[in-house]
Amino acid sequence: MFASFIDSVKYVGHLFPVAFLRIYMGYFYLQQALLKFNGDFLARPRLASEIADVLPGLNAPAWYKVMVEKMVIQHWQSFAFVVLGLEFMIAISYLLGYVVRPVAIVGVFISVNYLILLSNGSDDLFRTFIAVHLIMAWMGAGRCLGFDYYFFKRRRGIWW
Amino acid sequence: MKHFLFFAVLVFAGLFVALFIRQSQNPDRDSRPVLRVYAPSSFARQWGPGPWLKEKFETTCECKVEYHESSDSISMLQRVKSEPKNRAADIVLGFDQYDLELAQNGLEWRNVKVDSQQFDEAVRPLLSRPSFVPYDWGILAFLAHKNEVKDLPRDLQDMLSREYISSIALQDPRTSTPGLQFLLWLIQVKGEEAAFDYLQRLLPQVKAWGANWSMAYGLFQKDQAKFTFSYVTSPIASVNEDPHSDVVALPFEEGHPVQYEFLGVPSTCQNCDLAERFATLILSKEGQRVVMEKNYMFPIMKSVTEGTPYATVPKFKTVDMAVIPNQAERERILKKWSQMRRAE
Repeated sequence: MFASFIDSVKYVGHLFPVAFLRIYMGYFYLQQALLKFNGDFLARPRLASEIADVLPGLNAPAWYKVMVEKMVIQHWQSFAFVVLGLEFMIAISYLLGYVVRPVAIVGVFISVNYLILLSNGSDDLFRTFIAVHLIMAWMGAGRCLGFDYYFFKRRRGIWW
Repeated sequence: MKHFLFFAVLVFAGLFVALFIRQSQNPDRDSRPVLRVYAPSSFARQWGPGPWLKEKFETTCECKVEYHESSDSISMLQRVKSEPKNRAADIVLGFDQYDLELAQNGLEWRNVKVDSQQFDEAVRPLLSRPSFVPYDWGILAFLAHKNEVKDLPRDLQDMLSREYISSIALQDPRTSTPGLQFLLWLIQVKGEEAAFDYLQRLLPQVKAWGANWSMAYGLFQKDQAKFTFSYVTSPIASVNEDPHSDVVALPFEEGHPVQYEFLGVPSTCQNCDLAERFATLILSKEGQRVVMEKNYMFPIMKSVTEGTPYATVPKFKTVDMAVIPNQAERERILKKWSQMRRAE
């Protein structure tokens, strides 16, 4: 049984269930992005307010705090636009299975920043998201039920 | 990689176009001046008085009211100071008497003209600073469920009774205004050494030190604590939620601390006239009534409570918190409190 456990490293499963997880994540991000788009996320500095609240007690490197204070909070409207755009990117990419690998890295980047700045009791959720995005990137989750398969067959390379 | 960049450009361009179309469908939406109001979340969110005041003000001001929320007054004042001039706060709300020194440090404030004739006697002495105007106030006390506690405590000493071990939900004074009020109240009525000695004996009675008022009050509401430290008007909120509520505020022989919430107009304001008009709305009879009903605090105008449950709140003896510790002193006291907790 122990030998079988070691041997199981050779097992290659199907990507099909992962494709469902990817599509669900895409749907989740689409919902979040539409809520922001239809709400006042771009009109009111909600993101900046939340960040400014946690900033004094933030356990992060000084350069990161300075960057957040001088750039993100002061130019909150531009950053709100970028965050919303990135969330739409993740949503569309995961739903279509197109450029999933690079977009999953964007997802990791967003989730890490949310974890640092806005976790406020949602640490576990953001940690789980980071893990899911990493798995999406690692597996190339767009190859199953997605357009990435077309490019994977023709071009290979690390991005498909 | 080309595909990724193409995809990113496409998504952002699509978002930009969608926003542009939305904007062009409502062209005069953002042409109005924006009144930037810095306020605590409890004021600005849907359950606070903020939305009503915004709606009311926008019907007459031909402007847009924009709330900038903060969870506590210290971070709010720090934000106000760090904002660039073109996006400076027009009016700031929600700082109490202990924050006035911090508010004055590094920031100038305009004098706010108010008609003080209608003000409650309790707040008149606070009008000596023309830059800061109180807009509500509250008395703090221990709350209890009267059906669950046989003999209601009458003074601080009673709270040390063995039957109340692990049954008080308090607030952390480093992060919560009522928590700080509690600590300063003890120091005021007992003296510093005796206050910390009392706190040491109170530690076994404390079920939890909540990071903020709502965390401690939540434990009390869920019957996980027999007592909490809150406002004497909290029982009104409790009755509003549950008509059979048995929550009572306990009058103590030592007297009770009082908290005043202030508003101010920084001299860097961009729409100063609008800010003063907004202050006038808050201090109007109508505005005061909304502040009272949504914030569950006493209004500064006497006549507003008439015919409301606030007029029936029993009189509580208050402590004259004449000595307000400066920032350094406050930090020293909080450090001492932290050391006491660490040694627990």
